[in-house]
Amino acid sequence: MQAVQPAQGESLVKFPELVALRSEKWLIGAHMAVAFIAISIGALLGPFQAFRRAPTLRWDMPIFSYYYQALSIHGVLNALVFTTFFIVGFSYFTTQRSLQRKLWSIPMAWVAFAMMALGLLLAGFSLITGQANVLYTFYAPMIAEPIFYLGLTLVIVGSWVAGANIFITYGQWKRAHPGEKVPLATYSILANFIMWITCTLGVAVEVLFFLLPISLGWVATTDPQVTRILFWFFGHPLVYFWLLPAYTSWYTMMPKQYGVTLFSDNFGRLAFLMIMIFSIPIGVHHLFSDPGISEFAKAAHAFLTFVVAFPSLLTAFNIAATLEKAGRARGGKGLFGWIPKQEWGNPVIAAQLSGMIIFIIGGVTGIMNASWNMNVALHNTSWVPGHFHTTLGGAVFLTYVGIFYWLLPMLRGRKLWNKEIALAQVYTWLIGMALFGMSMGRAGIEGAPRRTDLGAPGVYISDAWGLWLNLSAIGGFILLVSLILLIAQIIGTLFFSKEEYAAPAPVETKAPADALGIFERWRLWLLVIVVTNVIMWGPVLIQGLNFSNGFWATPFQMR
Amino acid sequence: MEESKQVHEEKLEIDRYERTYMILAAAMLGVFFAALVAGAIIYGVHLPTAVGFINPILIDETEFANPGLRDMGDNHYELYVVAQMWNYDAGTTESTAAGFPVLHLPQGAVVTFNVTSRDVQHGFYVEHHNVNLQILPGHIASQTITFSEPGTYHVICHEYCGRGHQTMGMVLIVDRATGA
Repeated sequence: MQAVQPAQGESLVKFPELVALRSEKWLIGAHMAVAFIAISIGALLGPFQAFRRAPTLRWDMPIFSYYYQALSIHGVLNALVFTTFFIVGFSYFTTQRSLQRKLWSIPMAWVAFAMMALGLLLAGFSLITGQANVLYTFYAPMIAEPIFYLGLTLVIVGSWVAGANIFITYGQWKRAHPGEKVPLATYSILANFIMWITCTLGVAVEVLFFLLPISLGWVATTDPQVTRILFWFFGHPLVYFWLLPAYTSWYTMMPKQYGVTLFSDNFGRLAFLMIMIFSIPIGVHHLFSDPGISEFAKAAHAFLTFVVAFPSLLTAFNIAATLEKAGRARGGKGLFGWIPKQEWGNPVIAAQLSGMIIFIIGGVTGIMNASWNMNVALHNTSWVPGHFHTTLGGAVFLTYVGIFYWLLPMLRGRKLWNKEIALAQVYTWLIGMALFGMSMGRAGIEGAPRRTDLGAPGVYISDAWGLWLNLSAIGGFILLVSLILLIAQIIGTLFFSKEEYAAPAPVETKAPADALGIFERWRLWLLVIVVTNVIMWGPVLIQGLNFSNGFWATPFQMR
Repeated sequence: MEESKQVHEEKLEIDRYERTYMILAAAMLGVFFAALVAGAIIYGVHLPTAVGFINPILIDETEFANPGLRDMGDNHYELYVVAQMWNYDAGTTESTAAGFPVLHLPQGAVVTFNVTSRDVQHGFYVEHHNVNLQILPGHIASQTITFSEPGTYHVICHEYCGRGHQTMGMVLIVDRATGA
């Protein structure tokens, strides 16, 4: 693409060890600001939905009292906005620091930010004014106003620009360091953005060719099954897009924070590579109950879902072995003596360890979802939000908070405002989310539906759900307390913290000598991605499309 | 790990424990998947599969024109249901005090559910039974199960379908078989 560039003065900046550059403060800071404002609002709405569904602990939300509007805002802000802004900001920071060079183009990073921010404003406006009560999965033929889809499209296209910037930066680094292996941190970010750009093609096609035209009134009908297929081409890798930055932190930053080396760098690379490849051709496991997909395709996608569980099991070993090294270096003896020696009192570490603990529940429940015989009992019950609140709301969110507890002080140049409050925030979140997730799961086993306003009059509520719905409201209350502690911590660190922060960014700048080059054979891996997805999704899409006149459905505008 | 400086030509070194762990992890996942396949073959746990298309605008010109229970003999039944905002039309006039339509089935009935939607997406979930269907306009969702225990079972719409979604339901009453 570009000609060989003589070392750009800009990009060969030496990063200061202990403080953030001015450009980092603004660029990364802007992404983090949007992310944490979004999650503050989005997460605030969550507990009130749990209160609303609880038979004896009913407590109605003073604003956004329409359940499905609040649920739409909760889903979009937490799952799409918070995550995307956080991940892009974190990926910029980590790429720059681990490659020890600036991004290819800082102005381009601001262009991407502006696109995403504008998209957020449009989508946010449509949500707040009730023009998009379609939940964050926006299943056709339920149709929102065009501004909602335009907003989401801008967020996604903005993230593509961000990804391109990171790829070009990597290409420049590669040319400047022939034969060198990329540090694992950047490797994981490249894998994440390759996966992200591939999978978002599905939702982009869905929005641009199906939903936006019908929303604008250009066409009169749409195809619910095909839009679901396109959505879930995107929907499963989406959850890995959230998870991989948490893995980046566990694999590459926690060892630094502990002063040890990762147990096995190459198996870390293997885990990221496998997730990059196998997170997409498995999305039909979200469609086990769908009428337009063959049982064979469902079984095939279930099989690869078990394959993609493997890199997470690898991660469990690699990270546990690394933590064991750290615990033994701190005097841990015996089989389990290394566990109490972990830094449970350091908020940065404690948040990540808590994330790992709750991810055990998330992983096990995820394997249950993929098992289609159990899915028959669990699909669309409150079991499902119970599951993903322990993964996204638990492991991912806690790890992001752990990252933020060093990144925010670094960007601000001031120490964390109050360590005790930070620890209290972490552990209340862990307890609250574990309680919420498990009671939602239990209610789901008894048949409580998800995404349903159980507080409305005339609704069937089984006696078997009552206890669990009430317990999930208690979990929600604990989470509300934790959220308030987090917001207090952010405000405190920004405005009231006096002590200067001086600690190195926990980013590795070199790959170990034995790192393998095969993991960076991107052309080969892209080919594997294309072939796998054509095989796994092609027949599903063709079966979903049926050109006899039976499959079109008319739109229903949802205000 | 000890730093081995000799340049291994692109060789992947595996720790002994890690190798054992990987084998066990892969074997565990393999057993899980084998259990699924066995469940499908031996116990007949099947997922809904593509059975047919239907034009949602022309529903009233199809077998869904008269929704309801059809006795196929030998305790086998076909149940046709039209899901719509925000009720199930199952061709019954009986309803509960809360307003949910009621259908009666004899104990041991083998029922094939055939459900489609007239408007948006809906769900069709039968409490305590393996019926869990995603209802899309344009498609027929189908699942067959046996009601071996008498009792009252709610059918719940578990896919968000708009403002009245939470009130969408139905009740199946399985009557105790006479002489049983």
